[in-house]
Amino acid sequence: MKSLQRLSKVIVSTLLALSLVLGMAGAATAETQYDKIVYAYATFNNIPDTETLATVEEAINAITRDAIGAEVTLKPIVIWDYSSAISLAMQGGEKIDVFQSLGDLNTAISTSMALDITDLMDEYAAESKALIGENWLAACSHEGRLYGIPTFKPIALTPMIIYRQDIVDELGLDMSAVNSVQDVTAVLQAVKDAKPDMTPLAAVNTGNIGLGLTVPDVDYLTDNYYYPKGVLMNDELTVVDYYASQQFADTCALARTWFNNGLVMKDAATTSSTAAELMASGNYFAYIASYSYPEKDTAASLEALGGGFKLGAKIIGSAFLDTTSINALSWMVASTSTVPEKALQFLNLTFTDPQVVNLIIYGLEGRDYVNNGDGTVSYPEGHDASTVPYTAQLSCGTLGNFFIMYPMAGTDPESLVWELEQNQNAKTSVAMGFTFDSSSVKTEYTAVTNVIDQYLPALICGSVDPTTEIPVFLQRLEEAGLNEIIAAKQAQLDAWVAAN
Amino acid sequence: MQKRRKKRLAKTGPLLLIAAPGLLYLLINNYLPMFGVFLAFKDFNYIKGIFGSDWNGLENFRFLFRTRDAWIMTRNTLLYNAAFIVIGTVVAIFVAILIYELGKKRRVRLFQSALMLPNLFSWVVIGFIVYAFLNADTGFINNTVLKALHITPISWYSTTGPWPFLLVLVYLWKFTGYLSIVYVASIAGIDKSVYEAAQLDGASKIQQIMRVTVPLLKPTIILMTLMAVGRIFYSDFGLFYQVPQNSGRLFDVTQTIDTYVYRGLMELNDVGMSAAAALYQSVVGFMLVLGANTLVRKLDHENALF
Repeated sequence: MKSLQRLSKVIVSTLLALSLVLGMAGAATAETQYDKIVYAYATFNNIPDTETLATVEEAINAITRDAIGAEVTLKPIVIWDYSSAISLAMQGGEKIDVFQSLGDLNTAISTSMALDITDLMDEYAAESKALIGENWLAACSHEGRLYGIPTFKPIALTPMIIYRQDIVDELGLDMSAVNSVQDVTAVLQAVKDAKPDMTPLAAVNTGNIGLGLTVPDVDYLTDNYYYPKGVLMNDELTVVDYYASQQFADTCALARTWFNNGLVMKDAATTSSTAAELMASGNYFAYIASYSYPEKDTAASLEALGGGFKLGAKIIGSAFLDTTSINALSWMVASTSTVPEKALQFLNLTFTDPQVVNLIIYGLEGRDYVNNGDGTVSYPEGHDASTVPYTAQLSCGTLGNFFIMYPMAGTDPESLVWELEQNQNAKTSVAMGFTFDSSSVKTEYTAVTNVIDQYLPALICGSVDPTTEIPVFLQRLEEAGLNEIIAAKQAQLDAWVAAN
Repeated sequence: MQKRRKKRLAKTGPLLLIAAPGLLYLLINNYLPMFGVFLAFKDFNYIKGIFGSDWNGLENFRFLFRTRDAWIMTRNTLLYNAAFIVIGTVVAIFVAILIYELGKKRRVRLFQSALMLPNLFSWVVIGFIVYAFLNADTGFINNTVLKALHITPISWYSTTGPWPFLLVLVYLWKFTGYLSIVYVASIAGIDKSVYEAAQLDGASKIQQIMRVTVPLLKPTIILMTLMAVGRIFYSDFGLFYQVPQNSGRLFDVTQTIDTYVYRGLMELNDVGMSAAAALYQSVVGFMLVLGANTLVRKLDHENALF
């Protein structure tokens, strides 16, 4: 009796333990004869479910099986998580063959995430190479070796003021006279005078009222726009401290006048609302940001984001291209890929095959989008970006070749011409093609980034007095090692100049 | 001897078996990843992998001590946590005693649940609730309270002074209900006859609380405090990042080790340096637990954790 009881105890506990373990076991998958390529891209849209994704993959595979003898697995990742998700996946040995940079090409190269594709280009991606051209490819090179292909799209970012057309009409303001950021002051003041309850200028996002990019002709030397460290200014090949420049001081002073006169939102330095949300609230008149589309298209596409107000756009600066503006969004073959040739071939297709790239962006015709017959596409009747099963429409400027994608209904075909022209005619940096490898000053980078986080938002949004704050800021930057970063940049730049 | 061991195994075997999956989980989830400490001493490279990457000594730790921020963030982390442990415990016990004294009525339970509610909110949500109060343009405090009192509006997110108090207040609002649960349970476990004896001796309600309840809670307090001390080098990231809306002007009073590491490495995505920061926190935390336990053992042997 007792032994039976004991036996049952053992059995029950074994079962309990087993059931816990079995619950965690997964299922194995079948294999196919085609090489598999995992294409990881950042999306601003909803992540589609697995079945939907499979239908799009199947449509792409129908093309790629014949074209390059490979099958593709799409791996959309939300943009905010993209960099860390890719980094973790590659550390963990997960299969990723093609991935992109989001302003961090530099890191991808210095930590060997990106494969050296110099010798593969001619054989597997010749069309892309011809399409993009040596000049732009140089932006993805490091020490003469090629690591990525830049997204082919309107790249030149032009600073603009986006404003409420209804208020401009009501007050009879002349926006055509607004050609620089200084001209903006008068318009904001006029709005403030006429509508005291309104805050004229909204923040674009946290700690950014759009003034950063209105400082003309700055080569950020591989840093992102929000954290410039050592930069090139005035077409000279001397690395300088951005924050010590007269232009920066002037910009902060302008922001300060706006702040003191109530022309800009008070919490701009810390708000977590974006310009679109703020504008939709009806309390704001305008914001300043940089776009790569013509004025009319920019206004139209921003209007489509919702908010219910008629918007206008006016260019208030000129575009400037440095290495970062080209390689910020570039595509790489993973160094861990087992089929790098196929991966590069597929990457090539995203630059050259309209069918492939439109499948990735818009999904399946009929289900996810409809063709309007005039070359443009729309969402099916009664649907929008958030209700169709698959769309990555907002990623259109971040992957492959933008110029072979279907334009959305409402876009002027002339725009493409303007955009191509901007790309070709925009002023370019004297150090175009130079990339900075930050690995020797990583410690200083972390420290300096923290100091910038602490001081820059308040300065550039006008919430503090620049005459007293900038000296403190400069002092702290120096303590954190900014000079070492500048020296390292100068040394690498000199070597690059000597080699070119 | 052998027989006895066999007998013991028969008795504990089934229990061990039930615990096995849990232990296995602990091993896989908490112990295996410890191999990752390698990374803190390596210059990580994706091609060479974890074991193949080059050693670089203490280079990865250097960034933690690079600037005077090192002092500020260590001070903030330690002082805030110390404040949370002391004030949090006192308030939690106070609330627990009140709840217990109110008895087991339905409305008391409802009240207790309501106290628990903030604990279920995420920091992002709490950050916005605070923002609704403190927003410079439209916030409740500036627009209603200060206006009514004829005080000039304060730009809360760029004034460092009030934040140490605000952060403690927000912390208490979120966690008091949760922390008090443990103490309510402990108080409920105290033998009623002790109170009856105290009453017979003429102890007042206050005396019963101070002389009976609090001393009998001592083991729980020590256990909870020891656990908190172990995490004293970690900060609640959401509290220090979301609640002050990541405002640069407030870094002097809101920067903690976690937020510093997060901000510094956001741009670099550096694996080695992240590992170094985590290792530093763990090692110091571990030493603090050992230290605190030794102290407790010296003062009061019975209540030491190990």
